[in-house]
Amino acid sequence: MPVVDVDPEELRTLAGAEDKSDEELKSDLFALGLEFEGETDDGEFELEFAPDRLDRLSVEGIARSLRYQYGHDRGVYIPDTNDAEWAIEVDESVPDERPYVTGAIVRGLDLDERRLESLIQLQEKLHATMGRDRAKGAIGVHDLAMLKGGSPGNDTENNGPQKTITYRGVDPDGDRFVPLDDDADRTPAEVLETHPVGETYGDLVTDLDRYPAIYDDIGLFSFPPVINGKRTEVDEGSRDLLIEMTGTDQWTIDRMLTIVCYALDARGGQIEAVDVRYPDGTVRRPDLSTDTKRLEHERIETTLGVDLAGTEVIDLLERAGLDAEPEGEPGRDETSRADAVDTDVEIESVPKRTGSPDTAPGGSTDAPAGTDEGPVYEVEIPPYRVDVLHPMDLIDDVGRAHGFNDLEPRYPDVSTVGGRHEGSRLEDAARDALVGLGFEDLLNFHLTSEAELFDRMSLSPDDDTLGGLEPPTITEPYSEAYTVVRTWALPSLLSVLENNTHRAYPQDLAEIGLVAAVDESEPTGVAEHRSVAGVLARTDASYEDAKARVAAIARAFGVELETPPTDHPSFVAGRTAEIVLDGEPVGVIGELHPRVLVERDLELPVAAFEFRLEGLAD
Amino acid sequence: MRLPETQLALLEAASATETKTVAQLAEELGEDPAAVTRAAFELAEEGLLAVEEHVAETVTLTEEGRRYREGGLPELRLRTAAAEAGADGSAVEMGQLIGDAELDGPEVDIALSNFARKGYGEIDGGAVTLADDPTYDPDADPEAEALEAVANDEAGYLDSGVLDRLESRGLLERTETTVRSVTLTDEGVTALMEGVEAAETVGAITPELLTSGEWTDVEFAEYNVEADAETTYGGKEHILRRTANRVKDVLVGMGFREMEGPHADADFWINDCLFMPQDHPARTHWDRFAMDVPPMEDLPEDLVERVEDAHRNGVGPDGDGYHSPWDEGFARAVALRGHTTSLSMRYLSGHAVGDLEPPQRYFSVQKVYRNDTLDPTHLLEFFQIEGWVMAEELSVRDLMGTFTEFYEQFGITDLEFKPHYNPYTEPSFELFGKHPETGELIEIGNSGIFREEVLSPLGVECDVMAWGLALERLLMLMYGFEDIRDVHGTLCDLDLLRNVEVVY
Repeated sequence: MPVVDVDPEELRTLAGAEDKSDEELKSDLFALGLEFEGETDDGEFELEFAPDRLDRLSVEGIARSLRYQYGHDRGVYIPDTNDAEWAIEVDESVPDERPYVTGAIVRGLDLDERRLESLIQLQEKLHATMGRDRAKGAIGVHDLAMLKGGSPGNDTENNGPQKTITYRGVDPDGDRFVPLDDDADRTPAEVLETHPVGETYGDLVTDLDRYPAIYDDIGLFSFPPVINGKRTEVDEGSRDLLIEMTGTDQWTIDRMLTIVCYALDARGGQIEAVDVRYPDGTVRRPDLSTDTKRLEHERIETTLGVDLAGTEVIDLLERAGLDAEPEGEPGRDETSRADAVDTDVEIESVPKRTGSPDTAPGGSTDAPAGTDEGPVYEVEIPPYRVDVLHPMDLIDDVGRAHGFNDLEPRYPDVSTVGGRHEGSRLEDAARDALVGLGFEDLLNFHLTSEAELFDRMSLSPDDDTLGGLEPPTITEPYSEAYTVVRTWALPSLLSVLENNTHRAYPQDLAEIGLVAAVDESEPTGVAEHRSVAGVLARTDASYEDAKARVAAIARAFGVELETPPTDHPSFVAGRTAEIVLDGEPVGVIGELHPRVLVERDLELPVAAFEFRLEGLAD
Repeated sequence: MRLPETQLALLEAASATETKTVAQLAEELGEDPAAVTRAAFELAEEGLLAVEEHVAETVTLTEEGRRYREGGLPELRLRTAAAEAGADGSAVEMGQLIGDAELDGPEVDIALSNFARKGYGEIDGGAVTLADDPTYDPDADPEAEALEAVANDEAGYLDSGVLDRLESRGLLERTETTVRSVTLTDEGVTALMEGVEAAETVGAITPELLTSGEWTDVEFAEYNVEADAETTYGGKEHILRRTANRVKDVLVGMGFREMEGPHADADFWINDCLFMPQDHPARTHWDRFAMDVPPMEDLPEDLVERVEDAHRNGVGPDGDGYHSPWDEGFARAVALRGHTTSLSMRYLSGHAVGDLEPPQRYFSVQKVYRNDTLDPTHLLEFFQIEGWVMAEELSVRDLMGTFTEFYEQFGITDLEFKPHYNPYTEPSFELFGKHPETGELIEIGNSGIFREEVLSPLGVECDVMAWGLALERLLMLMYGFEDIRDVHGTLCDLDLLRNVEVVY
């Protein structure tokens, strides 16, 4: 989960909470879902939260949420945006793998050290979350004063912006620029080889024929998603910023941009639009348009389990930073809001991202809101809310604003009949039998290594016997000790014996657990079984002791046991038998071979058995 | 009348007129005092003997006390040496006297301080002058006499002040003991006159003894029943299994049925059905155990289509999809399940036990696999408790009521519901409860109401609420284990498993 460092003083100022103590502030933050994890050396709060509200990745966003919580703000806020002076030309040479770009300009900022740090943190956290470590979206922030706009390309209409920068592809060994934290000018390929940031993010572009790059009239100034040029570096003296983002998904980078714009707006910056000119059309950014979803009153009540008045719902939604009004009746506004806007106009201005609004939803086609079903609300959602996918997400907002912990728990009035699965009942019955025979019931890992399964047992995966199967293998294991799922359980029991030679004997150990093998005939490609395994480690352990116990279990389950002689590399020849239950060969029983015992530093004989649990089933 | 040998001997040795202590009788009979005491009580129970008890103080000399009794108290030796050196007239140098009195080490200080206390004379500037005390009798020092008396068991006649003094000097020890003394009762006298025989004592109870009827005339040799017996362990169900079964009992009692299903499964069932975007950080290779087997062909095509549509376009007229790539190949890739919610998806979709009509309750307590670093609280594989309730209409309050009931069965009360985010539930809650021992607020589960984007593709048209919790977490709360590796896995400590307390 993301962690954001926040200066509590700055948070108080921005949230209008100067009089709150640290403890009150922490408690208010907890109510929002932000958990206090500790303090940095500089006394900043380390706040952890679930990765849904990515608009809270900076102090400005957290302060905004607090302002709504405190009631300082209500409803949807949209920052004012000035007309575009700049445009981003998207050239045909842009790599197909990273086709999208977006951007905005923010003017009149007064950046001090802390504000700059906060901006950099927001950028990094957005990279780590929505940006998927810059693969999906990467942010570049530049000092606008250091940019020289080119003349508008083929724009003959002459009513668009006059200054342009260009997003294009560049030959890896092509144009040179001086990257951040460097002194020499380098080609993009050289940056990947020599610059520490280049080494970290190089994997994102090395396979491309042309690398992404952004040019102004002077030349290359940004090499996304790797690094910016030094020329446009932002410092405390920068007042006007260009924010550009490139990525693999337009929506994602547009929303990342929105979150950054809201944060800078809260710092007093003036947002200015940028035109993005794709070969097939121009879009104006940032896209601060709101989304609208329909929310049924009844659904709120059934989800929360409480009755709410319409005015109450609207109040709760506004306190969550949303706007709402009953559908179809903008005139009969239930709320106290005097500035209700014409919802129809709003809806038309909202670009629908999904599907087509083909049929009127929710069965309220021919009846206006306020019928049996209760009212339906049109809820307006600000553009920084990247987490709202469905009306149920708005119900969650209502619940949070209402206070979930104020709801009275009730046991649902729903009758069902409980019961155990037959497989787990069989396993339990077999375990009871083992425990009754004096076995200590064990629980080992299903994951192990081939060395444990085969080499240390003198067995090979090709041996056609107990354990001799191809183990399901983990493609990218972290640890050499855990690379496969076990094909048999006896090696696990022997490991326990090996690790407990200092404990009292006799050690009679048993386990019922998963074993698996690669098997093309299974839908998953993996055959899974429950296996019953036991070892008797005692100074006088013999084949007979093990057989006596297997026979007792077979009798208890009413199955016939036969033990024809067999060979198994882990056991002593001539003292090894196949376990045949009701005519089906299901396992092996015998005295473990001294080489297997010595391998485990065991100094006494061990009689052992292992068989498939299903051999005991009816 | 027949009595065991010890009882008979005691009865004969006891007197109706003279009270004898058990210690006396034991010495007389050559028996162990404990055995005589036991026999005395048994006879008293029969009414043949009267036993009286009183608390007596025993005073014994310490090692130092015995030494002074032999060699004389240090201050007396100094006094005598001084008198012999003529210190009753003029001062005599201390060094000479210490040598004469053969005082050594700590005895010197002891001699000097008690010399002064008893007023034998003055010590000034390293010289000793005896006081003029005509009544002084070197053979009548009360403390020396007391030492002698204690040694001769005559301490009872002494003044307690002297004893206190000697005790504070560390020369004697006082202990309280119970002294039991016995006298024959009238019945005892009668019995003896009528004649008492010794009964035969036997060791093992043999089949012959029982069948012959001889058992009626024998006494059974006594064992030292307090002696340690051989340690035996027997078999025991694993503590984590036990805890799992306890959870299962509770859930079955609450009307839940158990689910089972594959450990290795298609990512489709593990993640895609759960509306986890394919580029979600938990789905990257370092968090999951991808299996080196071919992609799973056998997936319900119509369900795959609906799930893909939910990911891309969302569900319902106002629903939005994810702006993430969705690749059917990834959905078909096989991995070890990271949660048992894959089973819930199989059951809810109707592919495990057929289509389910509300109401339903289902659970599982099974292993899940996470590519984590092994440490005292994290394992690569652990048990997840998973449960869900399906009904026409479920609210957050129903969810709260169900979990309050469940956790109370384990002594966890005062549940708090912290609003949370999961890609597959909305609203979602992290559950916090009060630790049964420490009272601390701890995280005990994750829960929520399944999203439309999860349920709609599965064909479920009612509400489903679900929750999950690591069984190991519950175990550690209930038993206070600090390192889960002692319990689960091949590094387990057999001693700990053998000796762990049973809970029920």
